[in-house]
Amino acid sequence: MLELGILLIKVIFVLNLALGLASFCTWLERKGSALIQDRVGANRAGAFVESDRWYLKPALPFVRALGWLGVINTLLCDSLKGLWKEDFVPEGASKFLHALAPVIAVLPIMLAFAVLPLAPDFTVAGHTVHPQVAPIDAGILFVLAMGSVAVYGVAIAGWTGNNKFSLLGALRAAAQMISYELPMGLVFVALIVVYGTLDVYTMVEEQQKLLWGFIPAWGIVMQPVGFVVLLLAGMAETKRGPFDLPEAESELVAGYFTEYSGMKFLLFWLGEFAEIALFAVLLALLFFGGWDIPFVELPKGVWWASLIGHAVLMAKVVFFCVLQIVIRWTLPRFRYDQLMNLGWKLLLPISLVNLAITAILKVVL
Amino acid sequence: MTFMGFVFSAIALAAALGVVFNRNPLYSAFSLIVQLLAMAGLYSVLGAHFLAVTQVVVYAGAIMVLVLFVLMLLNLKSESGRKLGIVKPLVALGVGFSVVATVFPAVVAQFKDISLMTLQENLWKSEGGVKAIGQEIYGRYIVQFELSSLVLLIGIVGAIMLSKRKRIVIGPREGGLGGKQ
Amino acid sequence: MSSIVTYIGLSLVLFAIGAVGVCIRRNAIVVFMCIEMMLNAVNLAFVAFSKLQGNLDGQVAVFFVMVIAAAESAIGLAVIISVFRSLVSVETSDAAQLKW
Repeated sequence: MLELGILLIKVIFVLNLALGLASFCTWLERKGSALIQDRVGANRAGAFVESDRWYLKPALPFVRALGWLGVINTLLCDSLKGLWKEDFVPEGASKFLHALAPVIAVLPIMLAFAVLPLAPDFTVAGHTVHPQVAPIDAGILFVLAMGSVAVYGVAIAGWTGNNKFSLLGALRAAAQMISYELPMGLVFVALIVVYGTLDVYTMVEEQQKLLWGFIPAWGIVMQPVGFVVLLLAGMAETKRGPFDLPEAESELVAGYFTEYSGMKFLLFWLGEFAEIALFAVLLALLFFGGWDIPFVELPKGVWWASLIGHAVLMAKVVFFCVLQIVIRWTLPRFRYDQLMNLGWKLLLPISLVNLAITAILKVVL
Repeated sequence: MTFMGFVFSAIALAAALGVVFNRNPLYSAFSLIVQLLAMAGLYSVLGAHFLAVTQVVVYAGAIMVLVLFVLMLLNLKSESGRKLGIVKPLVALGVGFSVVATVFPAVVAQFKDISLMTLQENLWKSEGGVKAIGQEIYGRYIVQFELSSLVLLIGIVGAIMLSKRKRIVIGPREGGLGGKQ
Repeated sequence: MSSIVTYIGLSLVLFAIGAVGVCIRRNAIVVFMCIEMMLNAVNLAFVAFSKLQGNLDGQVAVFFVMVIAAAESAIGLAVIISVFRSLVSVETSDAAQLKW
């Protein structure tokens, strides 16, 4: 019974974290893109509130500050706009499939958060809490499986648009996603070879060891090529950054999103930002030591050490979210054949050679 | 059979009926995707964890995407209204019934006293964790593994050759550079 | 009824449904999907027997069946596409030119 309660708390916490990170990335995208493009961004909604009621007066400076930062605009106004917009289904399309596609696009991403640990183990009142919702045997392969299932959301969304632009965009997006799953999977396999385990928690624990006494055995030290490949493959998999031709806001009329409006469109958008958050968490856990501060030994099992570890992990995750947003707004997008060339002719051979060299070094050293 | 086993079995059966009896081939494909995911759940219930994840990645995540691509690009209408008649469905049902009726009594007679839990001492060996399956495949079945990679190579080359539009000219062309295309 | 019999019964029923589908449906792609379903039913039987035996032979067999099914699906769909190019139809009753 207690196990069930702890599991429920873990699930609620992880869901809140995923959605909170996704919302944070949404705000970061709006304000960050504004900064990069040398403009101000959204700062009107809620920035000029006045009130005569005495019980609201203390809160007003905070609300005005939040409004000036654009938080109210992004989080409150956009959500309400999405909820109240007319939701139309194209003529001749199935209503069921039209409603199902955003769900299939978002659900696997949320599920993939289940195998990622968010803090080291800690003991509370004699009970050891393991902050990983599902410590399954396949571990990191589950993330790959969820990435494979997320392709269907895109394909079905394009199909129910019932027009050629949507279908074309959807098939291109689906082809891109399945092409870049291969280098991603091979980088995961190389990491499995290096750390000898599939469980992500054990991988993070192994990264806290020191190589030759002074370098922490972080993923980026053990697998630098793998880091670069995963960065590129992950950004292509989440259709972000310079790989966002399927959305192609200027070319395909928003691609496979074309026939979506209102809350369904926002659900796609939320799924995309949740994917950014998932990818940032993956990079932080696999390549940057997770909750590890280098050369600092925190006592294990204590609750405040876990809290510090979680805060360190979140700092790294925020860094990677900012990195992805900056990359997206800085680089021009690839053409489709350049994209496929990069995936098949460059990243796949590099990841294969990386895997071979990793395996040889693991046996030799 | 555990509770989750029942749930997954029910979903698999319903989706299987959906594959066969749906008019629109696209809905058949979606039913098959649901059925494959339910089978992955069943493998997990039976202890084959690696196979469950492989089923999702390979079957539901790659093969069915391929089928969906073909269906969406060919843009087929539902099957034409030519009636099936009464003989074909009857023969088909006869085939299905005979499949079940010939094998099932033999299985029941052989296994009705054995539950899946009696072989307690061997039970841990059949937990299909990734390490155990890896040791089996790269240990006892290494030759079959290499041969299956050859089959995959044949599949790749065959699929590319079958779907090219131009005719592939093998051999030197008349005039021009001999031996080069 | 012991649970191994339940699993084998389920596998048999799924196989039978797939066989009925292959006989009834005329769309070549749906026939292909029913064949995949039959393969999956057999995989389930393998895994159930592997759990009964207490070793991993059945699961390794399932692994190889999945590999072969992947290769077969690629080639099968390529064949269907080439047939579609000349016939503009994927119904099996339309590919009847060799019928006497």
